[in-house]
Amino acid sequence: MKTLQTLFIALFVVAMVPSTQAQTADEILENYFENTGGVDNWKKIDGMKMTGKAAMGPQEFPFTQTMMADGRMLTEVDFMGQNFIAQAFDGEQLWGMNFQTQEAEAQDAETSENYKKNDSKDFPDPFLNYKDKGYTLELMGEEMAEGTEVYKIKVNKGTVMVDGKEENNVAFYYFDKENFVPIMSESTINVGPQKGMKVQTVFSNYQEAGDIFYPYSIETKYNGQTGQSIKIEAIEMNPEVQDSTFKMPEKK
Amino acid sequence: MKKLLIAIFTLALFPTAYQAQEITLKGKELFGDMRARHIGPALMSGRINDLTVHPTNSRIIYAGTAGGGVWKSNDAGATFSPIFDDHVQSIGVVTLDPKDPDNTIWVGTGETWTRNSVSVGNGLFKSTDGGGNWKEIEGFENSERIASIVINPNNTDEIYVGVLGALWSDSEDRGVYKSADGGKTWNKILYVGPSTGAGDVIMDPKNPSVLYASMWQFRRTGWGFNSGGLNSGLYKSTDSGKTWNKIHNGFPKGKLGRIAVAVAPSDANKLYAVLETEQKDKNGLWVSNNAGQSWEHLNNDFGLVVRPFYFSRITVDPKNPDIVVKGGLSGSISRDGGKTFKSLGNMHSDIHDVVFHINDSDVMYAGTDGGVYRSWNAGTTFEIVENLPLSQFYHISTDNETPYNVYGGLQDNGSWWGPNSSPGGVEARDWNSVGAGDGFRVLKHPTKNIIYSEMQGAENVWRYDVDKNRTKTIQPLPRKGDGELRFNWNAPMAVSAHVPDRFYMGSQYVHKSDDMGDSWTIISPDLTTNDPAKQDQSKSGGLSVDNSGAENHTTIFTIAESPLDQNILWVGTDDGNVQVTTDGGKNWNNVTPNLVGIPANTWVYHIEASVHGKGTAYAVFDGHTTGDMKPYALKTTDYGKTWKNIISDDIDEDAFVRNIQEDYENEDLLFLGTEFGLYVTVDGGKNWSHFTNNMPPVAVHFIDMQKETNDVVMGTHGRGVIIIDDISPLRQINQEVLEKDVHFFDSEPITMVEQGGFSGNFGAETQFVGANKPTTARIIYYLKKRHTFGKMTMEIQDMEGNKLATLSPGKSKGINVVDWSFNTTNPKMAEAKTLSFGGFTSPRVSAGKYKVVLNKGKETYEHIIETKYDDTAMTTLADRKKQEALTKEMFDMVEDLAYMVYEIGEMQDKAQDVIKNNPKGKKVAQSLYDALEDLRTDLVVTTGDNYVASAEPELRERMADLYSNIATSYDRVSGAQLQNYELIKEEFEKEKVRYAEIKNKEGKKFMKFLEKNEMDLTMKTKEDFLGDR
Repeated sequence: MKTLQTLFIALFVVAMVPSTQAQTADEILENYFENTGGVDNWKKIDGMKMTGKAAMGPQEFPFTQTMMADGRMLTEVDFMGQNFIAQAFDGEQLWGMNFQTQEAEAQDAETSENYKKNDSKDFPDPFLNYKDKGYTLELMGEEMAEGTEVYKIKVNKGTVMVDGKEENNVAFYYFDKENFVPIMSESTINVGPQKGMKVQTVFSNYQEAGDIFYPYSIETKYNGQTGQSIKIEAIEMNPEVQDSTFKMPEKK
Repeated sequence: MKKLLIAIFTLALFPTAYQAQEITLKGKELFGDMRARHIGPALMSGRINDLTVHPTNSRIIYAGTAGGGVWKSNDAGATFSPIFDDHVQSIGVVTLDPKDPDNTIWVGTGETWTRNSVSVGNGLFKSTDGGGNWKEIEGFENSERIASIVINPNNTDEIYVGVLGALWSDSEDRGVYKSADGGKTWNKILYVGPSTGAGDVIMDPKNPSVLYASMWQFRRTGWGFNSGGLNSGLYKSTDSGKTWNKIHNGFPKGKLGRIAVAVAPSDANKLYAVLETEQKDKNGLWVSNNAGQSWEHLNNDFGLVVRPFYFSRITVDPKNPDIVVKGGLSGSISRDGGKTFKSLGNMHSDIHDVVFHINDSDVMYAGTDGGVYRSWNAGTTFEIVENLPLSQFYHISTDNETPYNVYGGLQDNGSWWGPNSSPGGVEARDWNSVGAGDGFRVLKHPTKNIIYSEMQGAENVWRYDVDKNRTKTIQPLPRKGDGELRFNWNAPMAVSAHVPDRFYMGSQYVHKSDDMGDSWTIISPDLTTNDPAKQDQSKSGGLSVDNSGAENHTTIFTIAESPLDQNILWVGTDDGNVQVTTDGGKNWNNVTPNLVGIPANTWVYHIEASVHGKGTAYAVFDGHTTGDMKPYALKTTDYGKTWKNIISDDIDEDAFVRNIQEDYENEDLLFLGTEFGLYVTVDGGKNWSHFTNNMPPVAVHFIDMQKETNDVVMGTHGRGVIIIDDISPLRQINQEVLEKDVHFFDSEPITMVEQGGFSGNFGAETQFVGANKPTTARIIYYLKKRHTFGKMTMEIQDMEGNKLATLSPGKSKGINVVDWSFNTTNPKMAEAKTLSFGGFTSPRVSAGKYKVVLNKGKETYEHIIETKYDDTAMTTLADRKKQEALTKEMFDMVEDLAYMVYEIGEMQDKAQDVIKNNPKGKKVAQSLYDALEDLRTDLVVTTGDNYVASAEPELRERMADLYSNIATSYDRVSGAQLQNYELIKEEFEKEKVRYAEIKNKEGKKFMKFLEKNEMDLTMKTKEDFLGDR
């Protein structure tokens, strides 16, 4: 509740700021973290265990995702009561279950390495300590997204390897001008047959999770067409986890 | 006292007055996530202006297209994606920074192959992130056409830009520009005059201070083209553009036309040039072996001299200076330094650019009037890139079939029709050819399966009988006394809404046929200005005569019959006349003098006769062929006596207009097709919004509204057919709606479309596949504010308030569209080793009313929608009800089994617990466990995998398959299904009995043991178990 009060105060203060005032990327981020619980509370996060439903078209599946600040990750989906590990990362190796055999298989080395060097740093938030991660930011200006006015920030995340060639890894975040939280991110798919396609992730339903505010609705769109909708139902902060949880099991 | 009252009254009024301020939403704020969809076609693709390869990464290729933006390939040309969709789509040139080719891309806009139908550009753009974002470079806003960008490889801040400039007017923006600071500031370093632009600007491959520039004097009008003049020339600079000298040593004297120039990358002294001169035998290819000091004529074969304004590109092999390729009708290649040529292999004609692979000259890419082609054998065989939907429509129309078809004609690519939706998406194979040459208007007969189409200048007008596959040529032919008929390149045709066999065409006269074009009557005098100065096309072209018919002028361009009265006809001409008859052509009223704000002789591009009043019509005017790019649209409600301007400042000042479409229900809702995309007004033209959701600012040549679906269908000149599905919510936008926090738009009862065909879409990996029209229920609502904080959810409930489905609501400000596929939730399945795919089926709802419930924070908003069965159903209502009842029964049966297997599992878990921890109970527990396991293995699959190592199906699998087959069928339950149902039901009953017996025997003993040892066996109730769904 305390955070909620802080939020209202923050929103009130924000509302007082004339909208024409120029913002820097760092000021936007400062407001963002302040409005979502304060940067100190963000920094206290070691891990989160999220449960909810993932929908693709009319089908909806319960899922659990455990993400750790050190990069380890486990995404489990419930298919007809069976626990299917869609993707997991133990700090070194990215792996997941083969749908046909339901056994764990390693993802290719390039994908694993890209995950380790990039995605694994983005929890709990890509902008938290972004300089330490080697990211650079650029405020691209003001735009419209989701029908509303936003600041567009470019994040240069370094490089990824794509079929043996190095390519830049860039993402764009759109921060609502009214409350400074990101409502959308956009990047270009750089591997696989969809290479070149723009993928948007839309954030909403920001609600309390421990001492911070977190988007409980995350929708992925491909060139604007909804692909997957994630509804988070509960978030357990700093869950107790076993190291073995993230390790790829031996094949039976 | 009175004063006080007044004061209070005034005070009270103030806030009201403030609140009453109109809410005006524009662009994305209004349209929210209402999106356009693209259906191509891509099978014939569209015109390419420029191709560019990455200097070190052979996977990356860029295509700058004539009217469809910039496309990038990351897979060596197998597929392309658009990267320039927020900007003008007419492209002149794409150049990569030599030091940072991965990220820094320069795009000069405005097509440079200056045919009559070219679009316009609006400047120079730069991306520093590989095409993700673009910044406009100041100073080139009026450039219209940029032909060249070259960058010093040693100092990439040094950039040269060749501005070809305006096609239809003088312009002082032409010439060669230089920046020494990466594009911040520019100097014009070569300028010849307001009618002479820069074509090729190239740099010596070894010495970046040496530059060559070709300057071209040219002009197009609505009725002619002129290439050539004394100002055309080829220049060289050896001091980075400070000074320039003509290098004409050897060239014939007199006027020159368009000049192409190229330097061999492997030999800086070897230059090739293609000239257009006054001496026919000196036209064609020239070579210089001393860096331009002197020239030698090599070749004037047809392939080297054909249409210089359209083909002026020379490409030299990066490794071999003697291998030269020249763009042309077929494209030509020489392997002996230009002495002799052969044609390139078969591909779409009109080759505008050719590039070589950076490491392997066997691999070539060609840009044509019909897309990008790849060759793997040095240009002998070419294959088309199949995912470039760049088709350039002049016109489109729709019919009333389900799904409706779209008809239209294309620049140099004939006429076509195809469905707006097709199983698996709209693919190349869905399109049907219905005309040759350049295609323009294509119209469906209102009642018969007959299509009218035409080619350029009405040289042929075809009546195609689709069922019989027969074509008849039916264009009006001159009779005694008629004189020569003047048809536009894009000649107008119209079918009557009142008399199905009636068909109109326009030359300088209106021709009417009441027998589908077999015989014609002229029903008007010459309705044009008949200005002889605009009628001599025999000399059009300049140095090279180019009388293709494309410049025919003083012709009728648009004919509109009133949908309310067959005797009211509107006509617009390319030389600025608006004429109307109210008596079927007996008398014509030239209402041109009544127009307001339209310069004389401005092309009347389209007239829309309104359904909202007999005297009401809209006319749009296009002045771009005189250099006037302003948007013009007028409305009359009194047969043209008075006109009102309906253009507002919201529209780009250079977005000239080609089409307007009114809504059939709301007179204030209008759609405007401009050079820079679509604009929409919901208030009769007071405010316009640019529609940009998946809609690039491409030239919209024609708009139709399909009446059954309320779809806005656009024929674009560069991105094919683009559709906005069901615009009916826009009809309902008003102040009352805009002031509400949440507003659901009303919809007609929604048909639950029944489709169950196959698509087998092989080839879709590399082929463009157009998006289908959604067949879901579209729940459309308006949000006053974007929802970001707090919970917002949406579900479908029956009218009693039972939840049937959960949806993911959109949270955009403005209009949101949420799709519901008429399905409820899947049954909860029994747990097993593998998946039972039948269990992923969720039943469809019956026809009827449903509640859409939106919870937003503490507020709840409800809206009722109604679904109905498909009129094309194969089954009777009674049979359908039986199917629904059996589906429900099977659904429950599947869940009963799931709960039974859950109970078994819980008991087995407890039994194992006892076996492990309670030696005294081991025997009882073991016998229960074994009996249950025996049963369980008959109920569900307990071994194998989800593929070829799968186990034999057990009861769960067979039950779920039958459930799924019944639930998804669109036909009555079959006899076989019923018999199978009896079998499965009986089997399940037997297993239930078996289960009861186990519970009664082994179960009882086990429960007694638990009781004695004060142990519990807790189990969820069925309701709780299913609630976890």
